[in-house]
Amino acid sequence: MVKLLLPVLLLALGIGVTVATDRPDPPADFTFVNRGDVSTLDPQRMSWMQDLRIARLLYEPLVRLDVLHENYEVIPGVAERWEVSDDQTVYTFYLRDDAKWSNGEPITAHQFVYSWRRALLPETASDYAKLFQSIKGSGDFFEWRSAQTQAYADRVADLSPAERREEVERMWDEAMAYFDANVGLKALDDRTLRIELKAPTPYWLDLCAFAVFSPVYEPLVSQYERLSPETGQIKIEFGWTKPPLTVTNGPFVLERWRFKRGLYLRANEHWWDRDSLDIETIAIPSIEDPNAAVLAFETGAVQWVSDLTADYRVAMLRKKLAFYEEHADEVERLKAQGLDQFAIAAALPDDPRKNVHAVDNFATYWYNFNCLPTLTDGRPNPFHDARVRRAFAMVIDKKTIVDEVNRVGQPVANTIIPRGSIAGYTSPAGLECVSDFEGDPEGLEAHLARARALLVEAGYESPSDLPVIELLFNKDSGHDLIAQQIARDWQKYLGVQTSLSQKEVGVFRNDLKNANYMTSRAGWYADYADPTTFLDLNRTGDGNNDRKYSNPAYDALLDEAKFELDPAKRMALLTEAERIIMEDDLPMVPIFHYVSLYLFDPDVVTGLNNHPRANQDIYLIDVLGDGKGRDQVKRIRREGEPRPGSTN
Amino acid sequence: MRRLIFGRLAQLPLILLVIYTITLALAWAVPGNPLENPEGRQPPAAVVEAMKRQYNLDSFPRFYFSYLTSATGIDYASDLVSGRLAEQREQAEAAGVAAPPRYIFDLGPSLKYEDWRVNEIVAGALPVSIVLGFAAILIALVVGLLAGVIGAVKPNSAADIATLVIALIGISLPSFVVGMLLLIVFAVSFSFFPVGGWGKPSQMVLPAVTLSLPFAAYIARLTRMGMIEALGADYIRTARAKGLAENTVLFKHALKNAFLPVLSYLGPATAFAMTGSFVVEKVFNVPGLGQHFINGVLNKDLFLIMGVVLIFATLLVLFNLIVDVLYRWVDPRIS
Repeated sequence: MVKLLLPVLLLALGIGVTVATDRPDPPADFTFVNRGDVSTLDPQRMSWMQDLRIARLLYEPLVRLDVLHENYEVIPGVAERWEVSDDQTVYTFYLRDDAKWSNGEPITAHQFVYSWRRALLPETASDYAKLFQSIKGSGDFFEWRSAQTQAYADRVADLSPAERREEVERMWDEAMAYFDANVGLKALDDRTLRIELKAPTPYWLDLCAFAVFSPVYEPLVSQYERLSPETGQIKIEFGWTKPPLTVTNGPFVLERWRFKRGLYLRANEHWWDRDSLDIETIAIPSIEDPNAAVLAFETGAVQWVSDLTADYRVAMLRKKLAFYEEHADEVERLKAQGLDQFAIAAALPDDPRKNVHAVDNFATYWYNFNCLPTLTDGRPNPFHDARVRRAFAMVIDKKTIVDEVNRVGQPVANTIIPRGSIAGYTSPAGLECVSDFEGDPEGLEAHLARARALLVEAGYESPSDLPVIELLFNKDSGHDLIAQQIARDWQKYLGVQTSLSQKEVGVFRNDLKNANYMTSRAGWYADYADPTTFLDLNRTGDGNNDRKYSNPAYDALLDEAKFELDPAKRMALLTEAERIIMEDDLPMVPIFHYVSLYLFDPDVVTGLNNHPRANQDIYLIDVLGDGKGRDQVKRIRREGEPRPGSTN
Repeated sequence: MRRLIFGRLAQLPLILLVIYTITLALAWAVPGNPLENPEGRQPPAAVVEAMKRQYNLDSFPRFYFSYLTSATGIDYASDLVSGRLAEQREQAEAAGVAAPPRYIFDLGPSLKYEDWRVNEIVAGALPVSIVLGFAAILIALVVGLLAGVIGAVKPNSAADIATLVIALIGISLPSFVVGMLLLIVFAVSFSFFPVGGWGKPSQMVLPAVTLSLPFAAYIARLTRMGMIEALGADYIRTARAKGLAENTVLFKHALKNAFLPVLSYLGPATAFAMTGSFVVEKVFNVPGLGQHFINGVLNKDLFLIMGVVLIFATLLVLFNLIVDVLYRWVDPRIS
């Protein structure tokens, strides 16, 4: 009998020991579910929305955007003030005296130079290296360093180990000398940073507020870099982003980060604007399963689900929309009082889905057309002809996709840049699609005739002259349903044959990169408040130009806009550029703009915003009625209203 | 016995080397580039090339040997001897910060979760998987053995059929269904347990029960078969003839023999319970090791794939060894 019990006892002992050593996080003032797991907390290397969101809690760049202001006004961050030269190419930032790291050390301008230089080194592999290249000479530095290490890689085999070490150090010194001599990024002293731009960049301050432009603590991070005699590059190790090692400068510090379990943050005692915080601790449990996230909210374990993706979200939102329709008068009255979306939700206590909120994203879902003359298998590519692309774009029933397939209230898109998301920018009209002719059968007939005529003009007398049209998309997220709808439209209205090609995301990515497709789905969450954040995607040779679209007139407009100092004229140039791709050339056909569904109780959580570029700064959040902080509803301020509660 | 243990342990490196070679060759052939984002912004081509060079992803033989020297501790030893380790520590001390952690058996960085080394990922997930797997096997053992004995004592009775049906359900129902059902009933409707997460004992009950079901069902069937066979044997008739109490006959004499097949199943079952809990981990949001098998391959995270496969292979060998040792101890006839 004892012998039989032994395995049982062994198992029980194993459990006991491990459980005893596991310590759960204490409850936090605010708990939310992020969009996904954090991939990195190194600001210069990140590009995922969930990473950037945490970075804005842990780091503070030179300036910040006030997301509770209707225009996302630029406000001071580490820099307390700045000067801009008359030609808008030289920016001088003055760092505040009380800007400190979380270990109490002062933040210096030199550390900004170090941090931004990291992003400009090819070996850092920053996804956003391009954004830093607005700085004068930085693009050349990037190329120069790439060429330098590439040349080394070619001749490394001939060198002895001792020679290699000597050579990589010499190369590094040379690179630093090149940087200092040629790149327009200088620390004039500990508190003054001077940046010289290649050309006037109206959105430069907006970029400076972007989390990727945050400083990192040089004494720490440099421990993780070493010159590699094998490649000639700096070999970067990570891990300094994790507590207890990490040193940051933002509103919060990372107290605990357990892989796939969650993050735990605490207010940073050394942050200069510490008094503005209304919460002390934030917990971000890692919850991947969409249902688990909803259950966690329902049982009160989390207060905000930032991306509701459970299948039944459609039903939840429908219920809310039905309620709003029923009480349309009341909603209008509240809107007229100037209440924002969340305040209206709070004012309608009987809404059965009061906690569900649809928030616009600064993002677009579209279909790519491969614009190269031939496909990878050597066949001629019909979509090389802009008329064919236009015809195919005209017959997509976008409204059906939004209303019948997705059903989460996304706005139909006929421009790549969401309308009204950038102050001062006027979107072009865009191309009409079949759903614009609802209730107008004659108009629709004429529209379809125009589309078919375009095909004939392009030399395709009959639909059978076109090859089978392939739609490429990646698995998951309902892309298959959208592709089916689009394929049906093309069959129905143009009479062409279609085939659906669903691939694993890695393979999908490879196919896009190598232009191994005819048409494919795509999406883009944009970064900064300027049309170029979308328009650069179609520039000739851009790394993200999966369409391989190239139009010299389009590139020329973007170049011209670069040097245009008058903001209105510049925006007009960009409108014309977007008009070219959205009305004439159609390298891509926008389908809808993304919407995120939030789950939170508007009576309890305040400080979130529904700006068209919906960036959430979680350090602004106040949990009402918890007895901590000011416990006052925060609302979006209009232009000209002062900012309350800040020492600045 | 000693020969068995040392012999098996001596084989371990060879087994691992073969597994390493095969897995790496397969993982290398998976399409996709781990250094590129599946969606969103892409780093310039020059950067991707540079990164490939840094991680030796541009050459199979280079990767093969560099990973091998790092995972076997050769790199660590050479840095220790050359004084590079001490140098690193001094540098960090001079800068007033903590020195970068170094691992003897360094399984490399994760390419997808860039801030984490595979060692850290495994160190965080393995204890969770051990608890979850052990708890599931424990529940499975208790439930399975009892159900098996009940069924065998009165074959074809109502109790037997009931346990068989439950066992059938346990084997056939996918764990995401069972998991969701348990969640809705015990976590949402009655609030007996939290909906998910890990750390408190109360959070471990539902996932362990869900994970244990198929194992319990299999153990019940193994036990029932073994018991029916044992109860028909001569020595049981002798035991009963001696006038032993029925419980003694059942649990001391019959179960001892019937348990042997269960015991040999326990080795691989424990290893599978610890690593094959992908679905349960997802439903209950448990930060275990199972998900890294799937995610590693989906993301083509080479270092992570190799790390978890090597760990799993080691566990499998060790658990089988433990079971073999137990087996001989329980039944000395086997040599």
